[in-house]
Parts: sequence; structure tokens; C-alpha cells
Amino acid sequence: GLILLFYLVFYGFLAALFTFTMWVMLQTLSSDIPKYRDRIASPGLMISPKPDTALEFYFNKSDSQSYAEYVSTLRQFLETYDDSKQAQNIDCTPGKVFDQNDEAVKKACRFNLSELGQCSGKEDKTFGYSKGTPCVLVKMNRIIGLKPEGEPYIQCSPKEEGTVQINYFPPGGLIDLMYFPYYGKSLHAHYLQPLVAVQLAINSNSTKEETTIECKILGSPNLKNEDDRDKFLGRIAFKVQMTE
Amino acid sequence: IQDDHKLSTEELEEKYGTSTSKGLSSARAAEILARDGPNSLTPPKATPEIVKFLKQMVGGFSILLWIGAAFSWISFGIQFAQGAESAFDNLYLGVVLALVVILTGIFAYYQEAKSTNIMASFSKMIPQQALVIRDAEKKELSADQLVVGDIVEIKGGDRIPADIRLIFTQGCKVDNSSLTGESEPQSRSCDFTHENPLETRNIAFYSTTCVEGTATGIVINTGDRTIIGRIASLASGVGNEKTPIAIEIEHFVFLVAGVAISIGVLFFVISVSMRYKFLDSIIFLIGIIVANVPEGLLATVTVSLSLTAKRMAKKNCLVKNLEAVETLGSTSIICSDKTGTLTQNRMTVAHLWFDDQIYSADTSEDQTTQPFDQSSQTWIALSKIVTLCNRAEFRPGQENLPIMKRVVVGDASETALLKFAEVVLGDVMDIRARNKKVAEIPFNSTNKFQLSIHETDDPNDKRFLLVMKGAPERILERCSTIMINGKEEPLDSEKAEAFQTAYMELGGLGERVLGFCHLYLPENEFPDTYPFDTDSMNFPTSNLCFVGLLSMIDPPRSTVPDAVSKCRSAGIKVIMVTGDHPITAKAIAKSVGIVSATSETVEDIAKRLNVPVEQVDRRQATAAVVNGMELKDMSLQQLDEILCNHSEIVFARTSPQQKLIIVEGCQRQGAVVAVTGDGVNDSPALKKADIGIAMGIAGSDAAKNAADMVLLDDNFASIVTGVEEGRLIFDNLKKTIAYTLTKNIAELCPFLIYIIASIPMPIGTITILFIDLGTDIIPSVALAYEKAESDIMNRRPRNKRKDRLVNEQLAVYSYLHIGIMQSVGAFVTYFTVYAEQGFLPSTLLGARVYWESNTINDFEDSYGQEWTKYQRMYLQWTGYTAFFVSITIQQVADLIIRKTRRNSIFQQGLFRNKVIWVGIFSQIGIALILTYGLGHVTALNFTPLRFQYWFVAVPFAILIWVYDEVRKLFIRRYPGSWWDKNMYY
Repeated sequence: GLILLFYLVFYGFLAALFTFTMWVMLQTLSSDIPKYRDRIASPGLMISPKPDTALEFYFNKSDSQSYAEYVSTLRQFLETYDDSKQAQNIDCTPGKVFDQNDEAVKKACRFNLSELGQCSGKEDKTFGYSKGTPCVLVKMNRIIGLKPEGEPYIQCSPKEEGTVQINYFPPGGLIDLMYFPYYGKSLHAHYLQPLVAVQLAINSNSTKEETTIECKILGSPNLKNEDDRDKFLGRIAFKVQMTE
Repeated sequence: IQDDHKLSTEELEEKYGTSTSKGLSSARAAEILARDGPNSLTPPKATPEIVKFLKQMVGGFSILLWIGAAFSWISFGIQFAQGAESAFDNLYLGVVLALVVILTGIFAYYQEAKSTNIMASFSKMIPQQALVIRDAEKKELSADQLVVGDIVEIKGGDRIPADIRLIFTQGCKVDNSSLTGESEPQSRSCDFTHENPLETRNIAFYSTTCVEGTATGIVINTGDRTIIGRIASLASGVGNEKTPIAIEIEHFVFLVAGVAISIGVLFFVISVSMRYKFLDSIIFLIGIIVANVPEGLLATVTVSLSLTAKRMAKKNCLVKNLEAVETLGSTSIICSDKTGTLTQNRMTVAHLWFDDQIYSADTSEDQTTQPFDQSSQTWIALSKIVTLCNRAEFRPGQENLPIMKRVVVGDASETALLKFAEVVLGDVMDIRARNKKVAEIPFNSTNKFQLSIHETDDPNDKRFLLVMKGAPERILERCSTIMINGKEEPLDSEKAEAFQTAYMELGGLGERVLGFCHLYLPENEFPDTYPFDTDSMNFPTSNLCFVGLLSMIDPPRSTVPDAVSKCRSAGIKVIMVTGDHPITAKAIAKSVGIVSATSETVEDIAKRLNVPVEQVDRRQATAAVVNGMELKDMSLQQLDEILCNHSEIVFARTSPQQKLIIVEGCQRQGAVVAVTGDGVNDSPALKKADIGIAMGIAGSDAAKNAADMVLLDDNFASIVTGVEEGRLIFDNLKKTIAYTLTKNIAELCPFLIYIIASIPMPIGTITILFIDLGTDIIPSVALAYEKAESDIMNRRPRNKRKDRLVNEQLAVYSYLHIGIMQSVGAFVTYFTVYAEQGFLPSTLLGARVYWESNTINDFEDSYGQEWTKYQRMYLQWTGYTAFFVSITIQQVADLIIRKTRRNSIFQQGLFRNKVIWVGIFSQIGIALILTYGLGHVTALNFTPLRFQYWFVAVPFAILIWVYDEVRKLFIRRYPGSWWDKNMYY
């Protein structure tokens, strides 16, 4: 009996102590930006849709079931970019970093879906999958305060040349500087990160095989893309195989 | 057995194909040597080195770690087949685990081999030589070349090189004490005197020594076939008991392994039922095992024990078997020899009686003067007799040695008298030269006296002085006067009565008493040309003047009484086992305190109450002197009763075989028994005892082989210092284990919380190994240097059934109190690191699956930032490092609190044990090197950590210290209370 009481008190005290120290620690943190950002100096690249298991796309262009999941993922992903959701966003000056350090309320720049052209899902509801020209969206990870230098753009290339022809939306795969910097979830609630759509036109003679495509961010000296250990830092590789 | 002792010389020659004059031919000897093998005892079968090594590889926790390694490799195999990227982590983990086992195994093996080597070098001896007749020539041969049928010659001082049937002897006496324990030399002749070959006089036994005379004999047994060889093989038949510390460590390993396996299996089941993948569950299992097993502990225990063994070796206790170090500490009964162990092993004058008064002499080891009253004329007369009536002489060339250390030629009593005279009077040889000896009758057993006649050194006194010493009653018979205060007075019945009283009193002290008398021969009857003839005894040998008595004893070593009283307060029963006479044994027992001054034996009570012995209530007697003859007829119950009912026991006139019976009796009482021994036939008792202690100086090789410990100075007091060290190491091992076990919880909790709350892994398996085998090793060894908290010689020996090394309180306090506090502190650091990088605790909970997914490279933190897998992994390693650093910092506090179990740290002194500080600095140093030096080696999973994270756990470290001080305060304040019972380990 006494032992139970003792442990109740003892562990109660420890739990209280733990809670208290955690509370004190959390009080020292700002709710807007993390204390340290040194572990993510440079952003990673990621694609959408992202297949469940690995970064591999397998589909049959004549079988709509085989790519239904990719399409619905894209649709869902682009919902936040819908014009109706961007009502409060402003049009920013292209090509210039949009500094708003002094502003209390940070404004988000509008990203027009039309910039994604054929990959916007407006004209082609299947994002090109039914035609054998699948779209993949490439995005750069959000990092608070990151200001890319130069003129960053996405460039993708197949491992074996000539197997795939690649179209970029916006043209040249450009990422506009006006979407930077990012001010964090709480200050920058409506922020939309810029997207680059990559449309792949796979040559019909190479459809039988898997094609590996590697995308990289280029044109900016402060965005790394060749880290030995981190295979996703400023780059991403995925496989596509399309059957007919 | 054999009947060689019954055969005549001729029959023997025929039987062994030899000739007493020519010996064997070299060719024949070589043939027999090839058949019988060398004449040496087969050493006890040693375990093959490879078996010893393999034992270290699978003993203790090794099995658990092997299982862990096997699981790692299996999951590597499966994952590799599936083509997973992280497969190699498991391969490395398996390799690391196997390395840990192999390295700790090699270490333990090396430690053991080292301590065995000390012994091996110790027992190596100079090869013995024997004088043999072969090919009709006398040859010096190495004794192990002897064969049956060889004719060997031995002389005084030689060790008998084999079992020998004697065919020629001249005044030959042998010391059979190593065989029978009887220390009186026994004479040897060629005659068949007894049916029993052990009793007959015409056989001399291997390894006994020839004390005096010469002899020639035929070798009848060699090597293991000798009597000694048979006893030695008997000794190896007596099983070795497991040492108490081995049992304790086994118990501890069992406990910890039990905890590890049950928690492991429990969480395996939990994780499987929580739909974790089977493979993941197995990896959790490995993690839990690794976290639970204190990998470095067994090595630490070995080091601590060998440190103590070294310390003990400095104090003249050479420990053969490391574990025996602690056994000595838990000893509850010491069965000690008398001669040489409790006593100085030399006769010394203890008392004098003259002028109707008893004087005590100094019997300490390094006497330089004698304090008794030397002014009386009687003493001058007595000292003259002592000096002159003595044939013993110092060996030349020892003038610079202290008198007590000089080697003397002569028997024990004469040696004692010579040294005594030299101490009191100075140069004895000079006095003898000035008082020239003109005639002498040496001591013989029919006369029982020794007599010599001298000129005096007084030039005006032309009389001869006749001096005589011998058995007191025989001397008194020859006297008609007695000297009192320098004047001769008639020896009336009153004076004779006084003599009797003194004689009885000294005899009752167990001392050997000698009487001394003299007579100045009248000058007119004995002019200086008088032809003294010792055969016809043409001089008076009666009506002499009695001068005094001297009594001698082999006195106790001066350090022994103190050591015995220490044993008493330490609750250790000291039993004397000796072959000596009961009266001498009891006297020595009394003088060293084995039998205390006030206690009585049954016989004493009977004498005091004047009733027959049978009517005395045996329970009233605290002391008992048991004769070997009585012991022979006793049943086991009767022996048990004696051992149980009497606290002070002396076994006298015992044979070494009976020692074994006594040891077994003590062990039946549940005691941990230490036994001293030196003879070959002590070896069964030495083996049977929980700790056998052989004498380094007087001990035979067989005894040293059978023993667990060798006493380099043969001194009982050294055993007691050994006991002290043994007790200290038991306490300190407790502290070491408590220290080591604590952080296991802080290593285990991360796994449990990882499984249950699905947070990113707080600490890696390899990081855990760096704590267990890196930062924690030196501190845990440092605890072995801790001084005792109180006088450990003032408490009873531990009860080996109740006082466990690792008891429930220790485990509970380490695991559930300090361990949990450490975990809390470490988790606060962990959450701080993650929160300050952007992952608030709320984001981490349940994040495991996505966090660990290789394809998710845009994992969102609490601030909306996105992380790649590698960025997350790097953060996870930072978490490992922070967790590691927190445990290290809190282990510093843990180390400090473990210095004491009851006293406040401030009573014990924070700086008294300097090694603890070495431990603390090494701990922090290693952590710094790992974090900042090796922080860039990815395989080790350390990252350079922000400096402030070193301090997050400091408040918790301080809390641990304060909490433990409070615990100790309550334990000291309220002994026996609920708190004391539950919190004192």
C-alpha cells in the first residue's frame, strides 16, 4: 500500500517536473519561426503525385484505372491553387524577391494555375496520362527565410538521352523569386509554393522499358543539388514506365 | 599396497633387477623410464586454453548479445534480399555486437590468464637433484629421471626424491610432516617394523625431508605411483565449490537477462500487435536487449577484482583465482594452523623462574633487550649456565643481522637459549671462549640432562664450574641446595613446593620447561689438571645447587592477537586446528585470543565446580578443546554440536585428514570456510574449503596447487587484511553494479516510448554501446577504489543466502528511481533539440512511419518547413547525441551518489577517492571526443552538438544528487523504518 502511494507521489512529481520543464522550454520558443534553421540550409525537391511505395510510375495509357490515383492526387494537390482559394493573394512583381520583413501581416503571392499550361488540369482532366504525356509537378521544399540567388529553374533529363521529350510549365522550368522568402506557417498562412510542371512525352519505341528521370534545380548558387549523402537535396529522381 | 618393506635386500635386488653396489645400468634405467614415465607428479589437468577462451565467449551476457547479432544478420539478409537501402545498418550492428562479445571475451580471458600466470611462475621450482648409483658409479641426476630400482643416497637436508626402501642408514631421521602432519622427526632404519608400509621404518616417502643422518635405498615407486602422488590425485577428486561471488554474478546475470528477455518479448508482442512489421519488431527486440545488457559490466567486475587482488598481493595475500578475493570477504569461519601461522615457528624463551619468582621474557619477533629484573646474583649464575651449557652456535658471517634472524646450528631449544643469552648478555661466543669447556655430556633421552664443566673467567678463582640443564624434575632430584638472591640455601620441602608450583604453572602455559643447576667444584679435589672422564663420570652429579627454570614456547606472532580480535568483531569464528599437544594449543589459543581470557571449557568448569566432566552442562562452556583422538570416535552429529555450541574451538592432536572432516562440518553449518594448510595431505581440505589458503614459505607445492590463495608471509594477520579487502570489494561491486544498471533504463525507455508513442528514435543502438563500453567503463572501475563507509570489520560476515550482491532494493532503486529520473532528464534534452529545430513535441507524436519513410522528402515540421529524409536523419542523430550527452552528464551525478550507500557524500569526502575524478573527467572527455571529434563520421551517428544542450540535463543531475542525499539522510535517521527497508541496497 505504502509502496504504491510512494510511487504515485514520486512519479507524479516526476511527471509534473517533466511537464514543467517542457513548458518552460516551449515558452522560450517563438511560435513564428524555429530557433535554429541550420539543419535545413538548402531545400530538397519533391514531386507530386508521389506513388506510395517508391518514386516509380507505372500506368497504361489506355486503362484509366491504372492512373486514376495519380490524377486524383494531382487534383487534390492543386485544389489549394484554385483561383477561388487565392482571392486574398496579391500579384507580386515577378523576378524580384518579395521582402516583407516589416509587415505585420505577410501577404502571399498569387500562383496562377494557368502557368502550368497543359498540366494545370483545366483542359486535360487526366493531366496528359490518357495521351501518354503524363505530367509531374516538381516543387521545392519550403524553408523559412530562404532567398534563392540568381534565376533558379528546374531541369529534368532522362538517364538515357532521347528516350523522353520534356516540356516545362512555366516555360524553362523557371521558379520566380517573388515567391520568396517564406515566413512560416503562422505568419504566412496563405503561402503557396511555386510549382514547375514537367510533361513527359515518352518515345513510343522506348515505352517497354523503365525510364529514369532526374530533375535538378539549377541557376542558383545558394541552392545545392549535388550532395553526396542527401539524394533529394535540390534534385530528385523518379522512374516512369508506360504501356499501351 | 606393496610389501617391499617385508622383503630382504636380496629379494629386492632380484625383484627390481638391480644391485645395491652397482645400481642399474644406464640402458636398463632408460628402458624403465620409457615404461614408467618421469618421476614427477602429473600436474592437475588444466582446462585447454581454447575451452577457457570459448567459455568466455558464451558466458554471462554473451549469449544474449550473440542472439542480438544473429537477429541483426537475419534481418540484414531479409532486407538485403528485398533491396532495402537501410539493410547495411543491421549488418554493421550485428558486426558491432559480435565484436563487443569477442573483445570483452578476449579481455576477460586475458585477465584470467594473467592472474593464472602469476601463480604459474610462483609454483615453478628449481629442479631437484638426486645422487644415484648407476653403472657402478655415483652420479648427480635430475630427480625426475629416477626409475624404480635405482639406488639413491640421501643425507640430512635432502628432500626424498621418490618412495625409497632403505637398505643402509646411519642416524637417519625424516620429517614426515608433509605426509602425516606430525612435526616430530622420525628415525629411519633398515628394519621391517610394521605391517603397514606407511608405519614401517624402512621406507622413506617422496617429498618428505631427511632431517639428519644419511641413508641409501632402492627406489620402489616413482611419480604418481608414490604415496604422495596417490594423495595428490585424491585431492583433485574433491570437487571445487563455486565461489560465492561467482554465484552472485550468476544470479545477477540471470536477473538482468530475465528482465531483458521479458521486456524484449513483451514489446515484441506489443509491436507485432500494433501492426509493426515483423522485421521491425525484431530490430526493436535487438535494441531492447542491447539497452538492457550492461555490456561492460562483467569486464569491470573482473578489473575491480584484479585491482583488489593486486592490492592483496601487496599485503602478502597472493590470490590464484580472482573470485577468491571476495570469498575471503564473506568468510565466516577460519580454520587456522597453529605453527608458523599463528606462531613465529621458533622456540623462544618466554618465562624464567628464579629467586622464587616468575619473570616474563619478551617474545616478540624483533627483541633487542629483555626488560625483566636482571640485578639479582641468581640471574648472573643462571645466565652463566644458559650460556655455557649449550652446544648451539651461530653460523659464521651473520654479525650484521639482527640476533633473531641469525641462523643457528643446533636444536630448537638450544637455539632459543642461545638467542636469549645473546640478546641479554651480548657476545655469547666470547663468554664461552673465556670459560673454556673441559668436559661435556650431551643430552640423551635416558639421562634427560646435559652437563658441561668449564674453567671460570675469573683469574683468581681456580675452581671448575659444573653446569647442568635438563628436565626440571630430574635436575631437582640432583640438587640439595637452591640459590635464592645469590645465596645457596638448603632445599627444604617448602622450597621444593615452590618449585613444583612454578613448574606446574609454566607447564600449564603449554611451555617447554628446563631446569638449570650448577656446582663449583672444590679446588682441592679438582685441581686444574684433573682428568675429567665423561664415561666414568669422575665428578659429582648430585647435591648440586638449583638455580632456576626457563620455559620456552613457540610464541604467537605479535600481530596475531590484534588480528584475532578483529576477526571477532567482524563476526568471524577462528578455529585452531593443530597437531600439537592440547595444553600447548590451548595456551597459544588463549594468548592470541582465539580462546578468550574469561571463557571456560567443559573441563575447566568441571575443575572449578569440582564435579566430574560428565555432569557439566556442555552449553555453559563457550570454549572447547577437542583432541584428535576424541574426534576420531565422534559421529557427525556430535561434531556439528560442538561446532554449533561453542564459539571458541581448538582442535589439538589432529591429523590433516581430520581437517577435511572439520571443514565439512563447518560447511554443514552454512559457513563460508577458509582453511590454512601447508602439507601435501592438507590439499583435500584446502580444495574442499570455500577458500583454501596455502603457506608461501612453509607450504608444499601440492598445498599451493590446491589452494585458492597463497599467504606469502605465512602470517595469520595477512588473512585478516585480506578479509577486509574482500568485504570492501563486495560493497564496491554493489556500487559499481548499481551505477551501471541505472543508465540501462535511460537506454531502454527510448525504445519503449519509440514503440508506443511512435516518435523518432531518441537513441541508437550503437550510441548505447558507446555509453556501456565507452564513457561508463572508467567510472565504474573507479568505484572499486572507494574507501569503506564505516568499519567493515565491525559487522558480521554476509549471509550468502540473504545478502545478495544485487538485491531487490538495488535493482528497484537503480531502475525505477534514479533510472527513471535520468530518462526524464534525457527526454527533456531530446524534445528541446527537436523543438528548437522546428519539431514541437505535438508534431513528433505518432510521426514515426512518415519520419522514417525513404520516399517522403517533404516532411513538414511545426513551422511549415519541409525536410528531406537525410535532413531528418541528421536531426535524429543530433537527437542521439543529445540523449547520449544527457545520460553522460547524469551518470556523473550517478557516479557521485554511488560513492556511498548510507553516509552522506560530504561525510565520505568528495575528493578522497581521486580515481573517481579521473572517472568523471574521462567520462566527459570521451563524450566530448565522440561528439566533436568523431561527429563527422556518419556510421557512428554522432553529430557536433550545440554546447548549451550539455546543460539541459544538469538540473536533473542535481536533482538526482539531492534526492539520493535525502534518501541517505532518512536511512541514517530512521534505521529499520519502512524507508530503510525499501531504500537501502
